Amino acid sequence: MLKIIIPTVMLIPLTWLSKSNMLWINSTMYSLMISMTCLPLMNQFCDNSLNLSMLFFSDSLSTPLLMLTTWLLPLMIIASQHHMPKEPPTRKKLYITMMILLQIFLIMTFSATELIMFYILFEATLVPTLIMITRWGGQTERLNAGIYFLFYTLAGSLPLLVALIYTQTTLGSLNLLLAQYWIDSSTHIWGDSLLWLAYMMAFMVKMPLYGLHLWLPKAHVEAPIAGSMVLAAILLKLGGYGMLRITMMLSPTINFMAYPFMMLSLWGMVMTSSICLRQTDLKSLIAYSSVSHMALVIMAILIQSPWSFMGATALMIAHGLTSSLLFCLANSNYERTHSRTMILARGLQMILPLMAAWWLLASLTNLALPPSINLIGELFVTVSMFSWSNFSIILLGINIIITALYTLYMLIMTQRGKYTYHIHNIKPSFTRENTLMSLHLVPLLLLMISPKIILGTTY
Amino acid sequence: MNPLTLSLVLTTMISGTLIVMTSSHWFMIWVGFEMNMLAIIPLLTKEHNPRSTEAATKYFLTQATASMLLMMAAITNLLYTGHWSIMKLINPTASIMMTMALTMKLGLSPFHFWVPEVTQGIPLMSGLILLTWQKLAPLSVLYMIMPLINMNILLIMSLMSIAIGGWGGLNQTQLRKIMAYSSIAHMGWMLAVLAYNPTMTLLNLYLYIPMTITTFMLLMINSTTTTTSLSHTYNKLPLITTLILITMLSLGGLPPLTGFLPKWAIIQEMTKNSSIIMPTLMALLALLNLYFYTRITYTTSLTMFPTANNMKIKWQFKNSKQTMSLPLMITISTLTLPLAPMMMILD
Amino acid sequence: MNLFSTLMLLSLIILMLPIMSTSNNYSYPQYAKTMIFYSFMTSLPPTIMFIQSGQEMMISNWYWMTIQTMKLSLSFKLDFFSMMFMPVALFITWSIMEFSMWYMHSDPNINRFFKYLLMFLVTMLILVTANNIFQLFIGWEGVGIMSFLLIGWWYGRADANTAALQAILYNRIGDVGFILSMAWFMANSNSWELQQIFMLNLNNNTLPLMGLLLAATGKSAQFGLHPWLPSAMEGPTPVSALLHSSTMVVAGIFLLIRFYPLMESNKMIQSLALCLGAITTLFTAICALTQNDIKKIVAFSTSSQLGLMMVTIGINQPHLAFLHICTHAFFKAMLFLCSGSIIHSLGDEQDIRKMGGLFKSLPFTTTALIIGSLALTGMPFLTGFYSKDLIIETANTSYMNAWALLITLIATSLTAVYSTRIIFFALLGKPRFPSLILINENNPLLMNPITRLLIGSIFAGFFISNNITPSTVPQMTMPLHLKLTALFVTLMGFAMALELNYMTQNLKHKHPSAAFKFSTMLGYFPITMHRLNPLTSLVMSQKSATMLLDLIWLENTLPKLISKIQQNTSVMVSSQKGLVKLYFLSFLITMTTALIILNFHV
Repeated sequence: MLKIIIPTVMLIPLTWLSKSNMLWINSTMYSLMISMTCLPLMNQFCDNSLNLSMLFFSDSLSTPLLMLTTWLLPLMIIASQHHMPKEPPTRKKLYITMMILLQIFLIMTFSATELIMFYILFEATLVPTLIMITRWGGQTERLNAGIYFLFYTLAGSLPLLVALIYTQTTLGSLNLLLAQYWIDSSTHIWGDSLLWLAYMMAFMVKMPLYGLHLWLPKAHVEAPIAGSMVLAAILLKLGGYGMLRITMMLSPTINFMAYPFMMLSLWGMVMTSSICLRQTDLKSLIAYSSVSHMALVIMAILIQSPWSFMGATALMIAHGLTSSLLFCLANSNYERTHSRTMILARGLQMILPLMAAWWLLASLTNLALPPSINLIGELFVTVSMFSWSNFSIILLGINIIITALYTLYMLIMTQRGKYTYHIHNIKPSFTRENTLMSLHLVPLLLLMISPKIILGTTY
Repeated sequence: MNPLTLSLVLTTMISGTLIVMTSSHWFMIWVGFEMNMLAIIPLLTKEHNPRSTEAATKYFLTQATASMLLMMAAITNLLYTGHWSIMKLINPTASIMMTMALTMKLGLSPFHFWVPEVTQGIPLMSGLILLTWQKLAPLSVLYMIMPLINMNILLIMSLMSIAIGGWGGLNQTQLRKIMAYSSIAHMGWMLAVLAYNPTMTLLNLYLYIPMTITTFMLLMINSTTTTTSLSHTYNKLPLITTLILITMLSLGGLPPLTGFLPKWAIIQEMTKNSSIIMPTLMALLALLNLYFYTRITYTTSLTMFPTANNMKIKWQFKNSKQTMSLPLMITISTLTLPLAPMMMILD
Repeated sequence: MNLFSTLMLLSLIILMLPIMSTSNNYSYPQYAKTMIFYSFMTSLPPTIMFIQSGQEMMISNWYWMTIQTMKLSLSFKLDFFSMMFMPVALFITWSIMEFSMWYMHSDPNINRFFKYLLMFLVTMLILVTANNIFQLFIGWEGVGIMSFLLIGWWYGRADANTAALQAILYNRIGDVGFILSMAWFMANSNSWELQQIFMLNLNNNTLPLMGLLLAATGKSAQFGLHPWLPSAMEGPTPVSALLHSSTMVVAGIFLLIRFYPLMESNKMIQSLALCLGAITTLFTAICALTQNDIKKIVAFSTSSQLGLMMVTIGINQPHLAFLHICTHAFFKAMLFLCSGSIIHSLGDEQDIRKMGGLFKSLPFTTTALIIGSLALTGMPFLTGFYSKDLIIETANTSYMNAWALLITLIATSLTAVYSTRIIFFALLGKPRFPSLILINENNPLLMNPITRLLIGSIFAGFFISNNITPSTVPQMTMPLHLKLTALFVTLMGFAMALELNYMTQNLKHKHPSAAFKFSTMLGYFPITMHRLNPLTSLVMSQKSATMLLDLIWLENTLPKLISKIQQNTSVMVSSQKGLVKLYFLSFLITMTTALIILNFHV
């Protein structure tokens, strides 16, 4: 694992010592190389996990997320190039440093063996993200967004710390590799329920669960492009990852705790999708669509069947790439029209035909067109939900319809129709942007060939 | 102040604390406290203005009351046991009164009222001494008499302090007051764990002091006392804004910064002793503190104050303030979390 | 037999070539068309071999993944249905491609249009040949998305975009049914392979079959989910000809045909299908009666025919329904091409009231249109006759719901009525179009495809029905009057319609009758469903989801409430007046309380 972490740490000196004209290209290329060094981890020759050291391990659940993390850094850097052309080089470097720091924390979070370490790093990701949102965000609402982001997450996760320490004192270890050998000693129902709540809440806030999701649209909308990308692609998945890891150590006798949250997710999924139908703000629409997709992941994890775990993992990866791609596209509009309002940037297909192709592909993956990996995820979740309760198909079905509707609404709104007059003289799409979009799409498409590498531990 | 006087005053102050820390006789402890208190009064009134005079008066009154209470507790104990030794504080009344006296000196809630007001009235340097050095003596006594004092009082008071430290700071724009409330909250954390594991109290103190020193040093560079003036820092010292940012987040206890370490250790210690609700409450109340630290970082480094252009010239003048120890202090106060396994040996 | 699968796959692979190649030269449409022709020719030998030997086949290669106990792989089912449908689809696509070269020649993105059509064709063939439900779903969704893209081809027009979105919406409703049955089969038979599902033949399979019926309803525009099909006429005419008459819309029926081993033992689903089909066929026929847009009439007639196919499924004759799919494809595609020819010749005029007398200026199109219409109505010995007549006869003699059969018969006679109406208004009478239009139908790119389809419309039914072995037993004998019913109602429809048209041509309605309004307003269906539903759901989402729940309740109960509490507490806690007296009072109170309470508890 050090062969990934140390190069990532060394990215910081690389950034600071680069000449300002080589800054972006250096950091992009170097981080791209780092993401390549992660590829061997895909070879999970051992059934259980690759124990790399006492501190780090990777298995078939964390590896795809790890890959996604390292893959996203170069993309974030590429996407941010245009974000602050007028700022002095020092600040650009600081910005890149924040992304790199975030990447370091994320790599270590996904590969930590010890749950306390996982917790600390999980929290550590807040700092760079907070700085990115509030320092480089667009409007003044970013301050509020930062506060919401920080305090929702912290308020959710502080009980987790107590719960983790409590588990450590009762069980003696928090090592994930030993998790399967733990014997659940306590039997009293109240304590277990509270423990369940403390464990799950932290990640449900992060996911976010409907009702606790208010921070997400705010943070996504206000964050700069790199912030939105990493939030949607990875930080939400931290919640899913944590839930997947933790459910294995929870007492099976308190499954009833999951029911209210499943109901909330089912309901919230439909609610947030229908919120998307009325959004005028492009980024907000994408953000709410993330909430709705993550609700699927929450449900999948809560019903705890092998199929649902596979679906959750696949959906996390697929959604990570897709929503990041959508944010990039939204940003490319924003950089041209300086507005996130959809109606001000409509009919772009006339002017940016290649970009329209990216939009189309992104929308199609977002609405889970077969055989994209989004569909694999959603289908597995739907199938396992259906076998859990036949009636859930009603809400899931409504959600499928609404998802298609708002995604195509977004596509039609931005790409189709007549263009507005003020976008006559916008810049054509850059090679950089097209590269960015294709770098998102290539993994999405290639993963279709062999989705089993992102199906997690239960495959 | 005259250097000679200053050195005299400082020596007296330090020796007072040292006397308290080293003696095992209640009378000597009282003497130490009194020496320390009298010596610091000139430091508080270094600037001759009504604010500092008022502050010094308030400080004097509360500390004198506390000392008197301490004396009274010692004498009650003497009557009951015939001992002056601090290890023999076995009379419950005396023990409670002693606890009250010491927490009054520390400024724990509900004896906290003087802390923000005194800190607000005095110069930054004196404030620093007040919030760091002055905590050593009472804490050392508490550390020593720990087995003999009532745990319930301590827990109630510490929880109240954490809450009040959080809520009080929310309403402030004055940096010294914010630091005072932060100190109240930190004292709460320290005393909460005192009953379970006094070593953790010390750990918290050892980390609280560098963090506070760092913060005050950062404020002293520009003699900043309000949030508004702090927001001008960017024009003068851009780097300092970044440092304020991480120091503040560290004070707020965000992982992976140092400030998380004592909180983690304390929560762990309390959870180990099967106290669950208390650490959860404490952790959640600590979010209040984090909130106002975040607000400081917002005004300092995460937004830019809309200033006139002429403000920006200030960076051209070389800053003559000595900041030699600042790098070290900042490193200690932000980056020591990885040393956590080492500190856990303290157990 | 090796050649069989090889050639079949080859014809699929040939189609991939033009999709893969870049398309920025002028000859791309020609190239694409030729490739489809090759593909068609390649697919013929296996079909002939199949007809000769009757041997079905399954190709299963490219293992994809195994999930738990379920293997997913790419597998093709080359059975009766796929083997018969593939050449038909390829033949029709070939003709339509050639037609598009004429119809779309001025479009700057014609190459992309061809690529879209090709991609549509590939997804359609995936759908047809799929051997497991997942692969079928890939094709299913693929045709849906391609129809979205093709309907919205003229993306500058708001109507086209709305129609495209509408198509996707209705299809998605059907998809939910599809996903439901996928989930059910997964949960209960633990397999998505068709053979395994049929082999297990689980009991109480009403739920998944209902799902499939819903899917078919969406895709094949059955009553309830039908409005997208007429709206889809916003797309270019070749698209209407390919997608919305012959291939994509029959996918729903095709799905039910695929699942006939399950359906034939489930009476409930059959009656549901029968009633649904009957309602659809009548309802859409009524809607077609008063339409003035030539494409919309043809579209409604397609919908009506789809209803007829559904009726056929309902009376448990899947092979007959399949036969009707094949025959219907020829003449319906041709009808669309003819209307395309008319529309293009008249300068994009689609209203039949502004046509007239075209039999002089467009003799070839007129011929084709009349033959197509006659084939549609089931005139003896044209293509439509072989399937439609058989369907009506079988329906007449079956023991199913008499009400549904009556409705179907009425719809059959209405078919003749609206066909007459097109002929009467567009072809006969005096010209009512502007005289300055240059009408020319002598372009081979127009003539050839129509000719081919014309031949198909005349002979295809004969060939197909002569060469296939019927698997479901048709009715062997019946009384003469039942045998002649279909012909009779059709002729009656023709006669009535002709008389009525002559009578009412110059009449003006003072007060449109209720029946007329019902028909012109499309049964009030779009008004109620397209106004009310979106309005309520959008208002719901705005008022309840966004504003009430998100912005008011969730915002106020969590963050706002907490911050309010903290704010008040904070003001309370930190409002000190600086009065030392009070501080000391608090010290005193604390001291006393602590001493009183705690002193005796140590």
